[in-house]
Amino acid sequence: MRRSITRTRLLALVWPELRAAEAAPTRPFERMLDALDDLSPRVEAVANGVALVDMTGLGPMWGTERRIAARAVMLTRAVAPLTVRCGIGDNRWLATLAARLARFDRPGAPAAFHAFGVHAGRAELRDLPLALLPADLATRQRLDLFGLTRMGQLADLPRSAVGAQFGAAGERLQALARGHDPRPIVPRRRPEHVEAGATFEPALEGIGSVGLTLRRLAAELCDRLRERHLAPGRATLVLRLEDAPELRVAQQFPQPALEPDWIARLLISRLEAAARAPFFSYTNQVGGNRVGQSSSANEPIQIYVAGSQEGPRQPPDSVITTTVGTWREPPPEPRVASVLLQFDRLNDPASRQLPAFEARAARWDELRWSLERIRHRFGPGRLRRATAERPTAALPEHRSRLVDIGS
Amino acid sequence: MRTDAAAAPSLETALETLRARGLGMRRGSEPAPLELTRPSVPTGHPALDVALGTGGWPRGALTLLDARTGSGATTLALGTLAAAQEAGGLTAWLDLDGTLDPAVAARLGVSLEWLLIARPHDPGEAVELAAWLARSGLIDALVLDLGTHPAPDRRALDRLGSLLARSGSTSALVLAPTGGTVVGAVVGVRVALHRTAWLGVGRDLVGQRVHAVVERHRWWLAGGSAELDLWFGEGRRIDPLLAARAQPIDPVEVAAEPPVLRVVSA
Repeated sequence: MRRSITRTRLLALVWPELRAAEAAPTRPFERMLDALDDLSPRVEAVANGVALVDMTGLGPMWGTERRIAARAVMLTRAVAPLTVRCGIGDNRWLATLAARLARFDRPGAPAAFHAFGVHAGRAELRDLPLALLPADLATRQRLDLFGLTRMGQLADLPRSAVGAQFGAAGERLQALARGHDPRPIVPRRRPEHVEAGATFEPALEGIGSVGLTLRRLAAELCDRLRERHLAPGRATLVLRLEDAPELRVAQQFPQPALEPDWIARLLISRLEAAARAPFFSYTNQVGGNRVGQSSSANEPIQIYVAGSQEGPRQPPDSVITTTVGTWREPPPEPRVASVLLQFDRLNDPASRQLPAFEARAARWDELRWSLERIRHRFGPGRLRRATAERPTAALPEHRSRLVDIGS
Repeated sequence: MRTDAAAAPSLETALETLRARGLGMRRGSEPAPLELTRPSVPTGHPALDVALGTGGWPRGALTLLDARTGSGATTLALGTLAAAQEAGGLTAWLDLDGTLDPAVAARLGVSLEWLLIARPHDPGEAVELAAWLARSGLIDALVLDLGTHPAPDRRALDRLGSLLARSGSTSALVLAPTGGTVVGAVVGVRVALHRTAWLGVGRDLVGQRVHAVVERHRWWLAGGSAELDLWFGEGRRIDPLLAARAQPIDPVEVAAEPPVLRVVSA
């Protein structure tokens, strides 16, 4: 019984301007790759300015190979109007070689196109120079010494003879000269994010009042990701405030997790820490009496003694002056107009193996969320774990080492 | 934990026990109900578990180890953490003075992997940190070592106690050599430790014998006592041969002639 075998066809796209610039920005290239996702689900970023697109089976949808290449050019030029070389072949070597061989029809043409036919092999590569092969300088010189200048000459040699003279690298070069390349395309994983938002009309009073909404948004995003077996590694929360600048908080999770309660609690504690920070930020500048600890980062609270000129700056206008000292007036509760929650760094939640088998490890993972919130509340350096270093050392500080949790 | 219904003392038995211990009750007063099934964390010493009645330190409660410095409170607390870890628990040590030596803890059987060490700045912050950890409900046993600091605010301790009771999963031991009076008024269990003898092999001291008395117990009858042998260096994992050869030495004799301390079980 005969089976029809579909040959892999790859489209290589090379942008000379991006390749030429050493420190070319990768941002437009990323956006081009995003645009190519609309053409094929398998797109590989080989390097900055070089992309491979798997076009196997796209014919019935988009037409001939030339039309598919033209469509790819159109999609990428919508992002950035750069010239591009397109090459098509049965494997990644032939596709990229075709892109190198592509010549522009006329000066100023947006794209050049070259394609090797199906089952292209040593016949089509026979007359091409060996300089096109990805060989190092020493290997090239040795090939020259043997009088090998064309791919056909290398392809016709017995494989054992090439292996004896040039080793495994030589055998690989010969396979390329014959048009063989076993390396598969490795589709990139698109760095994606999911987001959900809510607008409040009228605006909510106070940051603390967004807690319920935050919990609902986190649950909604977790449900969406659960169906795809993904879990977020970071959340970004954007609060648009009335009469105040936008408040943006990015929080990395202890591990990828689909736990809306934990995520919401951690974000709220992070929000509270961010909201507390500016309240006490000025208090260290004036010499005064130390009266206690602040509630944010345990910085000493100092009060400004009325009439004292020790401080480098005068207290701000919003300071209440008393006979004892001055306190900054607590800022009014901001009014929240909208909230946007974004999850990114999506990962496979099943990658954590140990907690799946050991209950204590799972509980420790859960505890890490609480510890992260404690870090927000009390500041870094409070929570540590010890590791044994040299148990027989004479000095206690050399026997073990304390590691800050979360650092 | 005792679940045998036959072991449950009747009211008459309880009153007899109280009278025998000299802890007479006011006429007409009703004893608090005994909680036979109260969850607990093992102390690491079966004799003390029996004396406590609840099978160990009760969960969801504050326990004060009332002991002078050097009377074995730290060793007993570390043994408790080791026992809690053996049962699959997570533990924490709030070290106010920064005197905890993790290497010593490891020698006493504490797995550093499951031990959280917190370094608060003052007693108030220590109590607040303990409350945060208790609220998570994931720590089985935590030790609040106040060291030489004064006792924290009583209201903060009350708040910690109510949080512990609400979570019901964490057993908190308080080591307060200097502030035992204040702390002792709010805890659910108070155990006094007195050294009765050193334990020595020849002229080498290998441990101490401690008399533990349950002076207060909110969920069981107070007055129980136990003799505990606390071994230096190895904790409960002392070599049985060494333990069998150890002889009690009167602490007065030791004080008169300080022995040469040598490491015999490193």
